Amino acid sequence: MVDRLERLTNLVLVLLGDQRPKSLREIAEEVPGYPPEGETRRQAFERDKRTLRDGGIVVGTVSIDGPEQVGYRIRPEDFYLPDLELDPDEQAALNLAVAGVHLGDPSGRDALWRLGLPAPSAARPVAGLPALPALPVLWDALRSRAEVEFGYRGERRRVAPAMLRFRGGWWYLVGFDVDKQASRTFRVDRLDNLPEPGVAGSAMLPAEFDPMQAMADEPWRMGDGELVAVEIAAGAAVAALIEQGQPSAEVVERRPDGSVVLRIDVTNVAALRSWLLDYGEHVVVLGPPSVRAEMIAWLETMVAG
Amino acid sequence: MIEAGQRLHRLLAVLTWLARVQRAPLDELAERFGMSPADLVTDLELAACCGLPPYTPDQLMEILVDEHEVTANLGPELARPRRLTAAEGFALAASARAILATPGADRQGALSKALAKLESALGADGRLRVDLGDAAHLAEVRRAADEGRQLQVRYYSVSSDQESERVVDPLSVLAIDGRWYLDAYCHHAGSMRRFRVDRMVSVAPTGQAVDHSRFDGPSGPSGGPATEAFLPSPDATVARLAVEPGGMWLVEAVPTLGTAPLPDGRTEVRLAVASPVWFDRLLLRLGAQAEVLAPPELVGAGRASARRLLERYGVTAPS
Repeated sequence: MVDRLERLTNLVLVLLGDQRPKSLREIAEEVPGYPPEGETRRQAFERDKRTLRDGGIVVGTVSIDGPEQVGYRIRPEDFYLPDLELDPDEQAALNLAVAGVHLGDPSGRDALWRLGLPAPSAARPVAGLPALPALPVLWDALRSRAEVEFGYRGERRRVAPAMLRFRGGWWYLVGFDVDKQASRTFRVDRLDNLPEPGVAGSAMLPAEFDPMQAMADEPWRMGDGELVAVEIAAGAAVAALIEQGQPSAEVVERRPDGSVVLRIDVTNVAALRSWLLDYGEHVVVLGPPSVRAEMIAWLETMVAG
Repeated sequence: MIEAGQRLHRLLAVLTWLARVQRAPLDELAERFGMSPADLVTDLELAACCGLPPYTPDQLMEILVDEHEVTANLGPELARPRRLTAAEGFALAASARAILATPGADRQGALSKALAKLESALGADGRLRVDLGDAAHLAEVRRAADEGRQLQVRYYSVSSDQESERVVDPLSVLAIDGRWYLDAYCHHAGSMRRFRVDRMVSVAPTGQAVDHSRFDGPSGPSGGPATEAFLPSPDATVARLAVEPGGMWLVEAVPTLGTAPLPDGRTEVRLAVASPVWFDRLLLRLGAQAEVLAPPELVGAGRASARRLLERYGVTAPS
């Protein structure tokens, strides 16, 4: 009985070895451990191919002459990466980066393994970013300039992706919505399903598209709503914190009791409300009357509920 | 027993590394790839029987394992870097981007050169951006942690809803899910604490050096998931909430202990109450989208805090 690891290792070496595509019969003759002819052999080979593919190794098929008609090989360009020519200090820096950033799975370590770089050293974490199944799919679409299709709040979207951006605790996809003919930003954790990438090169971005411009800086600037200037009063206990945290807000008044009146431009009132309520009784909306009334109504519903 | 695909992935990584270094101490090699020396020897002895047909000695991989050392002569092909899966390429680029996004990072240094080579090889130049945000006192706090200097911090605590002065021995500073935290020994509390850097009103060095023995005690930060932003203490109050679909952002925003569907279409969410004030604020943000089911002493919490805040608007709600 041949260990499956041995069969897989030999399979990789044989398929990579000379670049002549080999039929399954030839493969079974050259790689020890396959069952004798028939359906079980085919199943064993298909299972091995799947294992290799899950591990990022692509077995290509080519039509060949002969009774079996299909030949298999691993093309070097599918197996190897061009040498990155990393200096020792660049390798060390990549190692430290992987050790210092937690992404919720060992993909970073796996990447270093595949590049033939030493495994990460133990280092104090510097940052933790949320991992989402959609991220590698979107990243691959970005690399191959492929359009992606996904559901977002129940609506089908076709998007030419321009950038993946982590900000304020969330991953965003910035891109050009093909149907709406406008730039849009999507929270990646809110996609209804795994995005389906189109063919490479299918993504058409307008020439002047600037992903940094396309995405607002604060949650309350992300909506499509009308721009309103909201005035808030922040009590002394939190005034310094809010001012430090909102450098773009305009200081309208500093009061003797230490509180501060600030003006903030908003296009998404719900996002602003959520942020303000996190400061409890320390922050009050002064105006405009519509936003103040909305806040009061929110609280009155709670009391009535 | 790990499955064959994982074993192959690991073995190919070991072979790539061996093809480069040609000779390595057994223990060091095992540690580098996170496996026991015995498992490593098993896999390497198996690899030494692999190669190309007709599997005569000259066609097998040249690997020699003795008691303490591995020697290999595998040729230049196996030493080449291999293609990354999408998940691996993304993880590597995101990690490098995250480190470069930390304030004060050397944006012309080795990491940034490595990332440029990687992204260009993968065709991903400029397609990924990580912002870790900033906080008014982040640079000072990071410097103090790096240099081991004690700090006097004026800190706004949500749980007490007020500012307080504390002397802390900084251990490390980390960005978790978009916020910066300082892990430090707090002389005020007498134990390790995690502070939000954006809640620091002012920061000043005391002139004292950090006492590193503080970090070794039973309350030290070793053990436990180091990147969890909030670790509920075992005796924290557990609240049960009935949440409308519109309030389910809650489970993304705060750590929860579990969810279950309710017959009326709402979802029951269980969470540890970090502090009464924190819980009040959370209820305010949820508004009418959530109802506290238990414990009894928290059932009226949301209504009470809404009423208090309404008073600030000059509105007296009927009780």
